[in-house]
Amino acid sequence: MLNIYTIRKQAALILSICGAILLFSTLSSAEVPRRLISLAPNITEILFALGVQDRVVGVSSFCDFPEEAKRKPKVGGMSNPSIEAVISLRPDLVLFSIDGNPKEFEERVRGMHIKTFTLRTKQIAELPEGIRQIGAAVGARQRAEELALDIERKISSLEQGRRARHALAKRQKVLFIIWPDPLIVAGPRSITDDALRLLGVENIAGDTVSTYPKYSIEEILRRAPDIIFIGKGNGMDRVSDSLLGRLKNVPAVRNGKVFYVSDYLYRLGPRTIKGVEELAGHLDAR
Amino acid sequence: MKNITLRIGIVLVLLAVVFLASVVAGPRMINPFTADPISREILFSIRAPRSIVALLMGMALGASGAVLQGILRNPLADPYILGISSGASLSAALGILGGLSIFGSFTIPVFAFIGALFTGGIVGVMGWKRGGIWPERLLLAGVGLSFLFSSLLMLMMTISSDEGLRKAMLWIFGDLSMSDWSRIPYGLFFIAGGIALSAMRARALNALILGDEFAYSLGFSPHRERGMLFVSVGLLTAASVSLGGMIGFIGLLVPHMMRFFIGSDSRGLILSSALGGGILLCLADLISRTIMPPMELPAGIITAIIGSPYFLYLLRKKNVLGV
Amino acid sequence: MSSASDTGILELSGIRFSYSGGSAFVDNLGFRIGEGEFIGLLGANGSGKSTILKIAAGILTPSAGEVSLWNKPLHAYNNKDRAKLLCYLPQSLDMTIPFTVSELVGMGLYPYDIAPEMSVDDALDLVGLRDKAQSRISDLSGGERRRAFVAMTLIQGAGIFLLDEPLANLDIRYQIELVKLLRDLRTARKITVVMALHDINIALQFEKVILIKKGTIIGQGRPEDILTEENISEAFGVQVKIMRHPDGKAYISYAENFS
Repeated sequence: MLNIYTIRKQAALILSICGAILLFSTLSSAEVPRRLISLAPNITEILFALGVQDRVVGVSSFCDFPEEAKRKPKVGGMSNPSIEAVISLRPDLVLFSIDGNPKEFEERVRGMHIKTFTLRTKQIAELPEGIRQIGAAVGARQRAEELALDIERKISSLEQGRRARHALAKRQKVLFIIWPDPLIVAGPRSITDDALRLLGVENIAGDTVSTYPKYSIEEILRRAPDIIFIGKGNGMDRVSDSLLGRLKNVPAVRNGKVFYVSDYLYRLGPRTIKGVEELAGHLDAR
Repeated sequence: MKNITLRIGIVLVLLAVVFLASVVAGPRMINPFTADPISREILFSIRAPRSIVALLMGMALGASGAVLQGILRNPLADPYILGISSGASLSAALGILGGLSIFGSFTIPVFAFIGALFTGGIVGVMGWKRGGIWPERLLLAGVGLSFLFSSLLMLMMTISSDEGLRKAMLWIFGDLSMSDWSRIPYGLFFIAGGIALSAMRARALNALILGDEFAYSLGFSPHRERGMLFVSVGLLTAASVSLGGMIGFIGLLVPHMMRFFIGSDSRGLILSSALGGGILLCLADLISRTIMPPMELPAGIITAIIGSPYFLYLLRKKNVLGV
Repeated sequence: MSSASDTGILELSGIRFSYSGGSAFVDNLGFRIGEGEFIGLLGANGSGKSTILKIAAGILTPSAGEVSLWNKPLHAYNNKDRAKLLCYLPQSLDMTIPFTVSELVGMGLYPYDIAPEMSVDDALDLVGLRDKAQSRISDLSGGERRRAFVAMTLIQGAGIFLLDEPLANLDIRYQIELVKLLRDLRTARKITVVMALHDINIALQFEKVILIKKGTIIGQGRPEDILTEENISEAFGVQVKIMRHPDGKAYISYAENFS
């Protein structure tokens, strides 16, 4: 007589056998994916850094770095890629970011029997691990390991700078402006906030609810940042003029500590560390 | 009529109270008499101009809503229904994309203003037939243009990868945080002018609400009056969009609230809708920057959140729409 | 103003009018209204009564011919001056207007810059709506709404009243009262009334009627001369009987059409 337990047992057995076969087949298949599609700009950058750019057959319309990435076929935006465009490129592997790509789309692609990979990295400290995972997924472990080690080395040297900065009497207060009008700044859980923490300075917008909050100008006056970074963008300096005019009594503006910095920190990829180093250079300049 | 004067007086007092509160209160209270230099700077170069801009925008929206509901003879009309705001947004977006920063920090407001007036002009021309502007044509032309312009804007936003454009368009959806003294003079000029023009034509507006034939019989030229009132609505809407983007709710519902409180006579209604709009936006802006400091919420969301329940209450309790 | 009853204070001559694109709806129409006259305008639905009143009021502009008011072309008056001499009350009254009765009636004063002889309350008394002064127009019955608009017209104080079916929606009592009210005003203030109406029995009480068919005048003059069985049959396409009371007053019967 079959009771519920035996059915369950058998089901579990069958499932685990299937799982083992699946695992075995994945492990044993020496073949690496030949046709890659990246749906996020930071993944595209990582793929290029890993030297597998020739295997990238499609990217999102936001993938604009390096220059060569712009010439890859586009499959649509990050939040609304086209399933047809993806399928018609006959990919072996589609790479998603947990940050910006819809989960439903990943499920749909998987439903079409196309392998997928999702990058779950959200912080700078997790970046080396994320790169190693991508390396494993696309069969470029060696290059990934080198890149990851390089980033880890740089992170630890940045941490030394942080210790030095902590030794200073006063912790520097920083504001990172993403867009001046309306005023959008880097808040908690943003890569920039992470970078500022790594640098051991205080992000005066670190206590807001939203990641990229619209920030109160009068609070800037009150919190008196020592340094203001402004992310570079199209005609950014001109747009920022009126804002800086209103902040003229803030220490950062008074002391000429307003810096236009690259947009490296907007993406968690190979360039992110460069962005952090750029900020560090401004912080330590006397 | 005496009664109405008294009630408008009450609204004025309320306006003064809300304005003072919005200057003194905020993420932190500031006592103007014992303020340190930073607080004084916050008071005079940030809160005061911002509260004035909120007041002006709210007044423009309230008054133009009252006028537009009258000339279109439609209680659902609001200043944005004529497509003026979508035209403003589209024009601002084109200005940003074209990299035209000839007006410096005024680039977006100037482009928005030009776009708004241009759209108002097109709507006016489309609404024109047989020697006059016809309300139904105006309404349909406005709705049509509005759809066209917003889809063009959506198209631009979709195919453009310019992050700056996306950020800048946040402004068009209602933002008072960048208000400073420099925007006030022209705002004041157009908004005071628009309110004065429509208040002077308030009798004609009453007559137009009765219908063109009544208006004619009462000694008005319906098309000319409607044209003048339309111009004042255009100016008011253009100036308000250019001051702080689009803030919903006020233009649609404040006139209805005031109809309940003051009555439907346009002579009192235009003025009181202006005051009521000013009060509501000033209050909403105060709340939006106070509730979650140092983050600011969009004022338009707050106007709707505090205004709608009150409006729904009126709708249940009183005969607001006159039907 | 000198008496102009011999020439007519409102005169239409050679009027031609067509609605956009159509053939002439009114052609070569002319009539003259003397001061203090009380005229009923009769005709079947679609015969052009409303169109003629609108042309006389200046709301519709004829493609040929001229409307003159006190011997001066109507279009030569400015709006306010014209509104002091001539008022027009349309047939259809919007029930969704948001005003109260007293706000509405007060609008009759718009052409004037100084306080008038008649107050809003006086006008409301005349139409029996004093107790409804603060009610909204939308809350009134059809007849009350009609009377409120009439009160606005009265307060406007013009000498010439062009009224498009003012008796519609009124019960018999208010029909009679309104006609009597206008007659009294005529005596007191020498007003002139041209009123489109349907009820031939009421028209028989007028001093003068104009009978219209398809934009042309079939006849004008004393009702007993114009409202004959033949004319009515021509204008309305039904057979009626003109009866007479023992005291000589005429009335119309069309009951036999139903059998």
